[in-house]
Amino acid sequence: MKIKGYDAIVIGSGHAGCESALALARKGISTLLLTLNLDSIAFLACNPSIGGTAKGQLVSEIDALGGQMGINADKATIQRRMLNSSKGAAVQSLRVQADKIMYHTYMKETLENTPNLTIKQAEASDIIVKSGTVKSIKTAQGEEYECKVAVLCTGVYLKSRIIIGEFTKNEGPNGFSNATYLTKSLLKNGFKLMRFKTGTPVRIHSDSINYNILEVQKGEDNIQTFSYTTKRAPKNVADCYLTYTTPVTHKIILDNLDKAPMYSGIIKGEGPRYCPSIETKVVRFSDKERHQLFLEPESMSTKEVYVQGLSTSMPVDIQKQMVHSVIGLENAHIMRDAYAIEYDCIDPTQLYPTLESKKVKGLYFAGQINGTSGYEEAAAQGLIAGINAAQHVLNAEQLVLKRSDAYIGVLIDDLVTKGTNEPYRMMTSRAEHRLHLRQDNADLRLTEIGKKYGLIDKNRYNLYQKKLKQIDLLYSMIDDKYGTKSKMAELFKSKNESFSTNGLTVREALKRSSITIDDILEIVPELSTFPYDVLKEVEIQVKYEGYLARQQKQIEQAQRNENTLIPKSIDYNKIKGLRIEARQKLDTIKPMNLGQASRISGVSPADIAVLTVYLKLNGKNL
Amino acid sequence: MENDTICAISTPIGTGGISIVRMSGSNALAIAFKIFSSKNVSQESIKPRYFYLGNIHTADVNEKCMMVYFKAPYSYTGEDLVEFQCHGGVLVTQKVLQSLIESGARIAQGGEFTKRAFVNGKLSLDEAEGVIDVINAESESELKASYGLLKGNLHKEVEKLQNIITDILSEINVTFDFPENDDEEVTSADVLEKLTRAQKTLDHIIKTSTTGLKLKTGTKVVIVGKPNVGKSSVMNAMLGTDRAIVTSIQGTTRDVLEETYIYKGVKFNLIDTAGLHDSNDLVESIGINKAKEILKNADIVLFVVDGSQELDNFDKDIIKLLNDKKVIVVVNKCDLKQKINSSILPHAEHMECSALENKGITEIKDKIYNMVIDEKVLSQNVIITNIRHAEALSKSNEIILRVITDLQAGANLELVSLNLQSAWETLGLITGVSGTEEIIANIFSKFCVGK
Repeated sequence: MKIKGYDAIVIGSGHAGCESALALARKGISTLLLTLNLDSIAFLACNPSIGGTAKGQLVSEIDALGGQMGINADKATIQRRMLNSSKGAAVQSLRVQADKIMYHTYMKETLENTPNLTIKQAEASDIIVKSGTVKSIKTAQGEEYECKVAVLCTGVYLKSRIIIGEFTKNEGPNGFSNATYLTKSLLKNGFKLMRFKTGTPVRIHSDSINYNILEVQKGEDNIQTFSYTTKRAPKNVADCYLTYTTPVTHKIILDNLDKAPMYSGIIKGEGPRYCPSIETKVVRFSDKERHQLFLEPESMSTKEVYVQGLSTSMPVDIQKQMVHSVIGLENAHIMRDAYAIEYDCIDPTQLYPTLESKKVKGLYFAGQINGTSGYEEAAAQGLIAGINAAQHVLNAEQLVLKRSDAYIGVLIDDLVTKGTNEPYRMMTSRAEHRLHLRQDNADLRLTEIGKKYGLIDKNRYNLYQKKLKQIDLLYSMIDDKYGTKSKMAELFKSKNESFSTNGLTVREALKRSSITIDDILEIVPELSTFPYDVLKEVEIQVKYEGYLARQQKQIEQAQRNENTLIPKSIDYNKIKGLRIEARQKLDTIKPMNLGQASRISGVSPADIAVLTVYLKLNGKNL
Repeated sequence: MENDTICAISTPIGTGGISIVRMSGSNALAIAFKIFSSKNVSQESIKPRYFYLGNIHTADVNEKCMMVYFKAPYSYTGEDLVEFQCHGGVLVTQKVLQSLIESGARIAQGGEFTKRAFVNGKLSLDEAEGVIDVINAESESELKASYGLLKGNLHKEVEKLQNIITDILSEINVTFDFPENDDEEVTSADVLEKLTRAQKTLDHIIKTSTTGLKLKTGTKVVIVGKPNVGKSSVMNAMLGTDRAIVTSIQGTTRDVLEETYIYKGVKFNLIDTAGLHDSNDLVESIGINKAKEILKNADIVLFVVDGSQELDNFDKDIIKLLNDKKVIVVVNKCDLKQKINSSILPHAEHMECSALENKGITEIKDKIYNMVIDEKVLSQNVIITNIRHAEALSKSNEIILRVITDLQAGANLELVSLNLQSAWETLGLITGVSGTEEIIANIFSKFCVGK
């Protein structure tokens, strides 16, 4: 007996699944969220932290598009810091320590209180496809739910296996059970799968740490929040600590390398380069005398402390020796062992930039199943897949963000165009337009798009418009001269900046690299009626004016190829002059436009030239 | 319509010994055998890449010729391609071409053979541009430079440079993406040091580019001097047997005579202010501005004076025009008694000659050659003969120099990395990494028929 009544089914309730389900339900689509375990909703399985370089940008973008992660992270924040604050606006990113218990609780609460959304603990076991379209989802428990669209957000749970030394067990993270059936269903439906690996360090008891000899890392106040709807910035109520491995740690690791699954051959999955296990670090960088470790509190309601930088899959007795060799952890009690985890994911080049699969209509994929790593990357995809699945049901236009719109655009374009052979992490280096893709202007970049796709409510939109107006107003004032001439001149002098007496305006001052908006507020107090984010925004825009203009030009140049669409009906085999490799790659990736085509590896500029000529000659007839 | 068959005369128009008519497209062989017959071969038995002797005979042609067939994709265009080698002469080849058109081929548009080669993946962007240069190459050195480009030497050099910048960029970016990494962060000083070295390499490549472009367009050598000092005799003596094409230059410079000679394989355009002889007052006759204009584009100025006379005010007026120019003072009439007061001559190389007796002329030509051509440059393989490449190189050089200045002024590495990124992308224009659309349009508009 098939169960009717749901237009959309989201499988998995991690960071991708939650965003997906919320986007669907908020867009009025009757949605069922299937999860292996209700207690694993929005579970922070690794670091108890959200944000970080480039990831902070992702969270702010999710927020500007009407997603939940930013709001939730702000609520669960116990410590926050702005990374790279000395390095320029574009690379600054917010990173917070999130209370992992509260993060889960707030998200679960949000899901439970969202209209159109039904949550059910059950294991999805089979995707039923008829004539190339998803029809229903079966559960292992024996039910079958009809649907028009489904979003797969299985995270690291597909046929996952944890590894600790020689001990292995078929289970998900943190002892949660894994998903055993879906792999078979995906293979049956023709999907190409990959096997990736990641890992997590030990959790130790806070009372067993000798904090007295460690360097404390405090949070910062007066920095922006992830969500621009957050009215009261969270307080810094917890501290992190910095410590180091010792030569003893390294000796223990090297002496026991034969027991490391990474080296003994037990682990076969591809691990991420940017997040290596401690054994990999010690082997590969043998000249380094010590490795940095961060101690991060997991929650205000537990004594568990996460040891960042000590990821390992060594046997538990070796783990204990390693931990005890670290400064300050001599007597530390390990509450949870470190482990490596292997899992199935799909090759993301099987997806369109909408995150819908090319093989099965109405079937979307988001999160770590697409070969990414990280909560933020997962949530970003979840949001886009959710929006597009809803648009699919509504028979409305799909959302594809450009590389120049958002880090989310870069993320998805990279995944579906180039694929990945290791868990993909977002980095500022991946974004060619990063000066434009700042965290501070995410709302200015994306709120209109969010509104168009129906996730921005009146309140948010009003906030955004108010900010726009205030920015305009502030701009109209910065060319005026404020205060006495001598005060502004003094400021220039004190910063060793040259000036001419007729250029002593706020704008001129802000253009100087050493003069900040805070300096100006001191001598032009009338400006302090503006909200700080508005002041900061104008400061950045003025300071980077020339660079931003140049970047804008580059974006416009790139747009020409992005706007040359490639018809879906194109037959690459008919185009003479394309090299065989390029022909195959283009046929596999099915790029939506010339820009995307030009980014496919194995497609040369000459191939693009051929394609350009072909589209010009035959474009109208396709 | 990409497969229709095109034809054209591939050799220069004129009376050469042999002319080549070329035809490319899927019907090339069938059309060829409509007008060509040989007792040795038929359309069915023809072997690719063999020469066959036979006859072209139509209503008004009866011509003995050789035919060779290249089977797709092993041809220049990547399509079936046929070439006829027939006797030279405008009339004959035109008639052969006419017969081919009557038999089903159509006349090729400018650059169409190479365009097909390009579309069929036979050429990279770089190579395609190199082909243009081969087409236009008129002298040996230029040809050498063009072939260097064809082999991708420039590509390799630029790639090396790009790699250096890639390294610098990654060193900077790692500090953004992994701020908690405890390795020592790259400093502005490190970046400055590496970048300065990279810039030197780039500078070197650019220096060769000037030479390369000169090889291509010819070096402008302007002869000035008051009437009757022997400018024309010097010019004629220099052209001698090396005399090349005579060109009359249109427009504002129609008073000026330009002739080309090739010396040691390098092209020189010799410009004589021939029309300026009538008046006794140079400044009055052409106006100071016009004289300046002619001199403005000169790479080298030959200032001819009469060694048998004292310098007068007329000579002094000319000397005033020669500031900031590369000048060779040619003291003519050295066979006569010398009266010249050389102390007021510009501080430049003085060469004595007698155009009449053809003395000292080779020395002048050597001097000019050495001033333009750095022998070291010529013996290297990387010479830039393409303006687009030279522009991309100088643009990235400009950016890198700006970055260096920024760094010295204490700019933050974030902005530095963004600027470096655009330098990197500019270098990519040479290797074909981006900017495809504009380049293609440009290439095809520049192509002549045939190779």
